[in-house]
Amino acid sequence: MAPRRLLPSDSGPSPNPARVRFTFDGRTYDGVEGEPLAVSLFAADRLILSRSFRFHRPRGLMCNTGQCGWCECEVDGRPSVRSCRVPLRDGLVALGEHAWPSVDRDLFGWLDLAARWIPPTFYHHRFLRPRALRKWYLDVLRWFGGRGRLRVGGVSSADPGRVTRSLDVGVLVVGGGPAGLAAAEGAAAEGAAVALLESVAEGRGVDAVGVRVHTATTAVGWYDGVVTAVGPETHWTIRAGVVVAATGSYERVPAVRGADRPGVIGARLALELIERYAIVPGDRPLLVGSGSDLADLTAVRAALVAAGAKPVGPIPPASLRRILGRRRVTGAIVANGGRERRVSVDLVVFSARTPNLDLVLAAGAAVNMRDDVVSPVVDDVGRTTVPRLVVVGSAAGWPTSGSEGPARARAAGAAAAAAVLGGLGPAHTDESESSPAITVAPVTGRALVCFCEDVHVDEIRAQCAAGYADPELVKRRTGALTGPCQGKYCRQGFVAAMAGVAPLDLGLPTGRPPLRPIRLGDLVPAGGSGTSDLDDAT
Amino acid sequence: MTATSISATTSTVPRHADVVIVGGGIAGLAFARELTARGMRRIVIVERGYPGSGATGRNVARIRRMQLTEDLCRVAAACQDKYERMGGDLGSNVLFYRLGYAWILYEADEVERMRDIVAMHTRLGIRSALLSPDDTLRHLPVFEGGEPVAGAVLSDDAIVHHDAVVWAYLDHLASRDVTLIARTRVTGIEHGDDGVQAVETDRGRIATRVVLNAAGGWSGELNRLAGVRMPNRALRREVLVTGPLRRSIEAAVTFYRPSEGWFNQTLRGEIVMGAVDPDEPEAVEQRSTWAFLQRTAALMTRKAPALRDVTVIRQWAGMYDVTPDHLAIVGPTAQLQGWWQANGWSGRGMLLAPFLTDLLAECLVTGRTPAMLEPFLPDRFSPDDAVAPMSADYYARYGRSTTSADATVPGDVTPNAPVP
Repeated sequence: MAPRRLLPSDSGPSPNPARVRFTFDGRTYDGVEGEPLAVSLFAADRLILSRSFRFHRPRGLMCNTGQCGWCECEVDGRPSVRSCRVPLRDGLVALGEHAWPSVDRDLFGWLDLAARWIPPTFYHHRFLRPRALRKWYLDVLRWFGGRGRLRVGGVSSADPGRVTRSLDVGVLVVGGGPAGLAAAEGAAAEGAAVALLESVAEGRGVDAVGVRVHTATTAVGWYDGVVTAVGPETHWTIRAGVVVAATGSYERVPAVRGADRPGVIGARLALELIERYAIVPGDRPLLVGSGSDLADLTAVRAALVAAGAKPVGPIPPASLRRILGRRRVTGAIVANGGRERRVSVDLVVFSARTPNLDLVLAAGAAVNMRDDVVSPVVDDVGRTTVPRLVVVGSAAGWPTSGSEGPARARAAGAAAAAAVLGGLGPAHTDESESSPAITVAPVTGRALVCFCEDVHVDEIRAQCAAGYADPELVKRRTGALTGPCQGKYCRQGFVAAMAGVAPLDLGLPTGRPPLRPIRLGDLVPAGGSGTSDLDDAT
Repeated sequence: MTATSISATTSTVPRHADVVIVGGGIAGLAFARELTARGMRRIVIVERGYPGSGATGRNVARIRRMQLTEDLCRVAAACQDKYERMGGDLGSNVLFYRLGYAWILYEADEVERMRDIVAMHTRLGIRSALLSPDDTLRHLPVFEGGEPVAGAVLSDDAIVHHDAVVWAYLDHLASRDVTLIARTRVTGIEHGDDGVQAVETDRGRIATRVVLNAAGGWSGELNRLAGVRMPNRALRREVLVTGPLRRSIEAAVTFYRPSEGWFNQTLRGEIVMGAVDPDEPEAVEQRSTWAFLQRTAALMTRKAPALRDVTVIRQWAGMYDVTPDHLAIVGPTAQLQGWWQANGWSGRGMLLAPFLTDLLAECLVTGRTPAMLEPFLPDRFSPDDAVAPMSADYYARYGRSTTSADATVPGDVTPNAPVP
């Protein structure tokens, strides 16, 4: 009933993985060198890696892409590091944060039982009397706040800083997945100068001539059409005739109670655990997904069965009512023909792909919501309502299975290149397309919308009922959309929770840069002056 | 104010009002509150976005008595008192918290100047102290290992939560005869020989004889609609915020030289910070820039290397509404009868607005101008001042001390900051 490693086989990361020792919250563990810290802890059955900010809910490995922030802990003295992004090395010291005495057994976890009586605005009319205690109340609140420890003092060595370089290019492709690679190839074949950014170090290469690939380089901003990116030694400011966002999709967490429990993981992580890291994530997993997401789950199911697990499902997301267990998944409530029954499972694997809207929202392109998914408004070659932004692949909501996906991305890349070479940016798509079409599945009151701030569906509705129905006001009063995941895991739920109780013609609340959390030291330009190297910045 | 009037669902505006306030930020909301406290009714607030969507929702709400001149200290002390009472006055907690406030000094002559300023603070009853370099690092170890400090001036000043202030006013006004129309733009001002007659909006016309321009960064545009010429201009200021950290910085920090920057920890533990671009052009502009992130990272990690490991999760920008003398513009306007101003806050709107709009309401209701309002009256500028060149440096003006010849300040020697 726990994750386990498969016996060494050719399915592992390398034939003879180097074993290393590291500690987490004072306990020593074995792991595989180079494997993500969060994955090694998962394999060692340390499922709780962090506690949520407001109610100290247990959280663990969920996405393994550095997006959700549920695996944040202190690593070698650095606060709030996403441990799925940390390659394991010998002697690494990790500590849980925001918990007492430990993240595994956190006394403040009891706060969650009182969540109903602690709304996001709980302090508004409280803590004013007696007057003499006002400061003390806030000292206590302050003590409950915070998360990571900032190690002050004793810091001497300075960061070297990154060189600022600018790049002018015909077509910039952001994302080196299948769609991004195909789009880059298509654009290069048309004769355009193409650059491709891939945030992963071991990004795949592109064979086509004329494609300049930057691996380990992450696009972090869209500032008036200029894309900025951070690489290992470089700050890039990139001006492109057309920016092709091939930023892919991520998996949306089910909108039911208990969906944030350790042991609820995305389908792609499940597959990665088995195939790449030789870890069987659970013995009796429940698979949740439907429609186009079934392809992923079918692969997960086959891999789980081959590894000796006994999966249940896939069941459609609408049938999942609740996930049970406090410190880890112990079961689920599933609706079956109007009746609800409890199934005993030790893992929930969900698949509900939803486009990564980072660049789309930063650029101010129109989005709409259909079939419960917020997608950019695009035409058949990916053109958005912003003249120089094209979106392809699953980031555009296109199906990825089969050969159709890459072919369509290649055509979109070629069209973008042709437009640039012809001296024209892509035209706007028909604006009439951009009116929001909202069809959403019902969401239940005590399900979480925002995981960073533990905002429940009914708390969002309560704000609307109290007269604060403007999405910007709901965002500010609840904190939804403002946490460290930068709205990635709550934007769709937010729209769903607001639907029907508030006018949505105002659009989504403003997204704010940067597109990803960035360590302050990584933003330092070389020379450290802050101005001398900025000549070719925005 | 009815519940729905806060949102955009109100499709029409009232046809008549005793007072129309343009701008639902701190100035407009506070003025509405002070008018209702004096028995006035039929007040309409027209807001282009949502309440607090301008500078009010974009600042870091430092409420500081410790100022550089005696006049400002007296006003600021009254403003801080207003905030300290605000919880009781409005019935909502605005999270007034004495975090402490520190000017970090890097040059010996700065320290010398500050001796006189601290003496002036003491005379006025403001608790401030000049710290030695060692004491500075002891109180603020975040600066250890950074650029050597020459000392610091530390006071017991406060922060509040800017959004909580907005909610406090909104909740308070909800039970009074005030209508707030959000997501509504003013398209024109009707006026004749006897002054203001109506405000035209994209949702309809409101007849009124009294309008308050509380539009912050947009107050220049609004004055132009009314044919009134004032010298204030909008200047962008940017902010970034990190993820929450345990309490580790026990003061709101500002330094002026050699470049201007600031940071502090919120009650939740996030660190907000910013490095000022001395060459920021005047413009109605709220977009964020990449250069700001680089500039701030370079400055902060040089002064406080421990900050290099914090994680930036969000950035935004707001506008200072700056006047040539860096004093707010609060009062009636001789250029147009019935046209009142509460703008030009020059970066001090959160601090000043609740108290100064209280004086302004007194002025409107009684016809008498309270003495403390005198330095802020709009008519100190003639229409010709509207084209006067303006210093980009926020602190430059205080080089011309109004009360004490000794009260010169750190910013006055910034080379690219001509004193207007």
